[in-house]
Amino acid sequence: MANVEEQGGAKLVTFQINGDEHHLVVEPQETLREILQDRIGLTGVKEMCDRGACGSCTVIMDGRPVLSCMILGIECDGHPIETIEQLNSQEHPLIQAYADNHAMQCGYCTPGFVITAKALLDRNPDPSEEDITTALEGNICRCGTYPAHIWAVQEAAKKLKA
Amino acid sequence: MSEDLKIMEHEPLVRDRYIPEKFQFLGKRGVSRMDGVEKAGGTAQYTRDVNLPGMLFCKILASPYANALVKSVDTTKAEAVPGVRAVLRFDDPELEGKVLLGTNTKFNAGHQASDGQAFYNGKEELAVTQEQWIQGGGRVLDGFAWWEGAPSGVAIAAESLQAAEEAIRLVEVEWEERPVVMNPIESLKPGAPAAIPELNEKSNLLRKVRIEHGDVEKGFQEADKVIQFDIRRRPYTAADGEPMSNVILWRGDNLEIWAHQQQPYDGKCLLSAVTGIPLNKIKLHIPWQGCHFGHGGNPFMHHTHGFHVISAILSKRTGRPVKTLYNRRENFYGLSQDADSNTHFKVGFQDDGTITAVKIDQIVAKMGQYGIDHFEDNTRIPNLLLNYVEAQTNFAPAWWFRCEQNHNSFCFSAVFAHVADATGLDPTEVALKNDGVEGKDMEYLSKFKKDHGFPDRDSLAECIEKGKAAIDWDNKWHEPGKKVLPNGKLHGIGFTWDHEWDDNRGSASAGLIMHADGTVDILAQKPDDGVNPMGTNCEIVAEEMGLKLEDVNWRFFEETGFQMMTPDGSCNLCTDAYVSLKMARKAKKTLLEYATTTLKLIEIEYPPVFPDHKPEELDVKDSMVFVKADPENSAHVSEIVKRATLNQNGSQAPLFEWAYHRQGRYGCEDGRHRLCRQGYFAEVEVDPDTGQVDIKKIVNVNDVGKALSPETCEGQQYGGAYMAAGRVMGEEVIYDPKTGVKLNANLVDYKVATFRDIGETENILVETGMGYGPYGLVGIGEDCATVVPFVVANAIHNAIGEWVDDHPATPNKVIQAIQKAKEKGVY
Repeated sequence: MANVEEQGGAKLVTFQINGDEHHLVVEPQETLREILQDRIGLTGVKEMCDRGACGSCTVIMDGRPVLSCMILGIECDGHPIETIEQLNSQEHPLIQAYADNHAMQCGYCTPGFVITAKALLDRNPDPSEEDITTALEGNICRCGTYPAHIWAVQEAAKKLKA
Repeated sequence: MSEDLKIMEHEPLVRDRYIPEKFQFLGKRGVSRMDGVEKAGGTAQYTRDVNLPGMLFCKILASPYANALVKSVDTTKAEAVPGVRAVLRFDDPELEGKVLLGTNTKFNAGHQASDGQAFYNGKEELAVTQEQWIQGGGRVLDGFAWWEGAPSGVAIAAESLQAAEEAIRLVEVEWEERPVVMNPIESLKPGAPAAIPELNEKSNLLRKVRIEHGDVEKGFQEADKVIQFDIRRRPYTAADGEPMSNVILWRGDNLEIWAHQQQPYDGKCLLSAVTGIPLNKIKLHIPWQGCHFGHGGNPFMHHTHGFHVISAILSKRTGRPVKTLYNRRENFYGLSQDADSNTHFKVGFQDDGTITAVKIDQIVAKMGQYGIDHFEDNTRIPNLLLNYVEAQTNFAPAWWFRCEQNHNSFCFSAVFAHVADATGLDPTEVALKNDGVEGKDMEYLSKFKKDHGFPDRDSLAECIEKGKAAIDWDNKWHEPGKKVLPNGKLHGIGFTWDHEWDDNRGSASAGLIMHADGTVDILAQKPDDGVNPMGTNCEIVAEEMGLKLEDVNWRFFEETGFQMMTPDGSCNLCTDAYVSLKMARKAKKTLLEYATTTLKLIEIEYPPVFPDHKPEELDVKDSMVFVKADPENSAHVSEIVKRATLNQNGSQAPLFEWAYHRQGRYGCEDGRHRLCRQGYFAEVEVDPDTGQVDIKKIVNVNDVGKALSPETCEGQQYGGAYMAAGRVMGEEVIYDPKTGVKLNANLVDYKVATFRDIGETENILVETGMGYGPYGLVGIGEDCATVVPFVVANAIHNAIGEWVDDHPATPNKVIQAIQKAKEKGVY
């Protein structure tokens, strides 16, 4: 693995997160979710299922949405990672569109939906309802807010195009 | 019409009205969620996210057995794990008397007679003592386990979660396994093993309830036809988003608690009750709540106080904050009520659909909610009999979640659907034929409405009319099992109904303060469980005071009190909105008095802004106080209040009000008749080869009285429909029948409904103004998830021509039902 310095069982990994570099010594078993949430404090990355079933811990890595609970930290060296905190700091239109369309209830899973939708809009600025459903169908919202996500993502897409 | 109208005994009936022209945004569309940006942007902090300096992580040993006794514990290896800071064993002297409370909360009748249940003349027989019920489940950390995964034996606090988990793995426990009983019918048979020997070693009977109205035998004799059938509902769980956790810091004589709990203030009360620490020494923090659906409110559950006490003891011993958290599997320990319900129905009816008698015999595992209430609440059926038996088993603890009316709605839907099927009548006609209240007809209910100032609208008829149009009922409804689509699938359409029950049950209080700049804070504990209460209550205060919406904020006031009705979701608005309304009206009155009256503070007199007017000559709109007869004569609200501040903008304005409200006593006490109805329609396609059911459309029609936030109400409609789809199609916690071990306690194998599980939802709000809440509202949060499972079941029956009598209706059971239909010659 390039640029990784071994220190016993742990490795020094350079994480590129939201444009910043973080140099961390990472245990081999530590997942990216644990590193982002517990060590770096990016608590917008949520733990729900902890086994790749719900999408709440989604981040964008190398331009694609990935489940951070299913990726080991030692695999992330040099790969640009974008979390919900980046979208928030940039006031991405998705966030206001989610609020305006009531596309949340308890909100615990919502950042996972928003970051997944962002990855969709990055590659498809004019998604159809079917495109949005396909992109978000791996995410679980126990409050059942699914229809509102369609409205929110379409509204954000319009604002981004304007 | 022979009986006199019942008048509500405990609270005066108030009929409040929504006046459309009075409001700018309340009750109208287009208001963004107040918590929306925080939640969507990932900055909303949940208990799981709380991370304090020096914080330790606590894990509790989860029993690998469903019924077992701890004979010995060796923590030597665990204590040697680097980072372990404290070990708490079940035999620690500090745990003496630290009982897991079952009923000793504000729900002081608890399990046996809690809020939300109707106890009309019910006769109840308990098989355990009141003391045993209050104690509930032993101590907060004890030496036995009654279900697989029960927190027991040992708790360990360590520097990291990984170290705590590793240490727990190294605890050596010698268990004495005991026989397991999972089936409630088997558990009641003579010779069955004791499911909870510590509670009752002689019998697994928990309680019996018998409720009787009229004479069912007479009703059966008057019937043209009598049918009997059985239905089973298997256990299911909340599978809530944020796994349970807490953080507790013990500092000197004071405790601080961050609680992931549906009723956080209750958690504080319970912590006080068990530890003996006075309430004024406990500081409560309420982060955002990653959904509960009622499951998070059970005072019997370990997460509502058991692990608070464990975290507190470990914090006291280490001097550091302690976070105790469950993983996803451990979070599967709570089940819905009716953990395994077995119900036998006997129903008599006439050929025109008039139901003359209903008899229900139920045996339920663990904890249930008997299914007779809704026949009492909203039918004219005169003869009802319930025999209900609750049996102890080694299932996980059960508690209501979305909601306690599950079994009521299930029984209600089942009876009406079977009568419609047996008579060949349109199910909507059977519903209208039997609509009423407590055995009395719609003429009685009509008089009740008029006498109490409510509009006399036929809520059910309105719901049915709108729903039928939305789903094209008149063209699509057909004889069961008789419509095959061009794609080879069986087409089905279903209907069911019920009443809106979310209209009371709570108490709440809040404060309101106007600052020197004229902005307002609502002071109250965070009440959110996803249902947007902050936004709605801010709208109420703004509208009632005449302020701009952006001038009103909900300041989370968690220091001491002002407990708005907790994140109860379902019925809190009827309570909380009265608080907001009352204090806003009081504050506006005070504001206008300030505007017209000289204030004298110490020796200084402050002249009013409107010295030549009386308060009643003024009004407020868009945060401007103005003379009604001369609107150009106006001043911003800040001009009124800041005159009384000592340092211009430097001190607090003298405008503070608070209010308290108690909405009703129990769920449906005498004289508080249910006036609003709900109707549901579903359309499905069933693959006759695989048994796979595709839900094509669900139409939710809810008479909410008045929707103060239409988007929020609709969110409860489609959101509830998705939860319901999961419940009817597949949600079941599967237990190994021999060992009681859960086989699918994760979100891969426990299937909840997601994006593609419903083709379309259409959500219709009916606003009759017949709710007991302010502006004539009634809640909606519990309704759809509770009732929709059975409209889908009815649609499946319409498709395949046979009942699926074992829920969830998984494809294998649908196939079995199709086979039965074939044997009967339906196809």
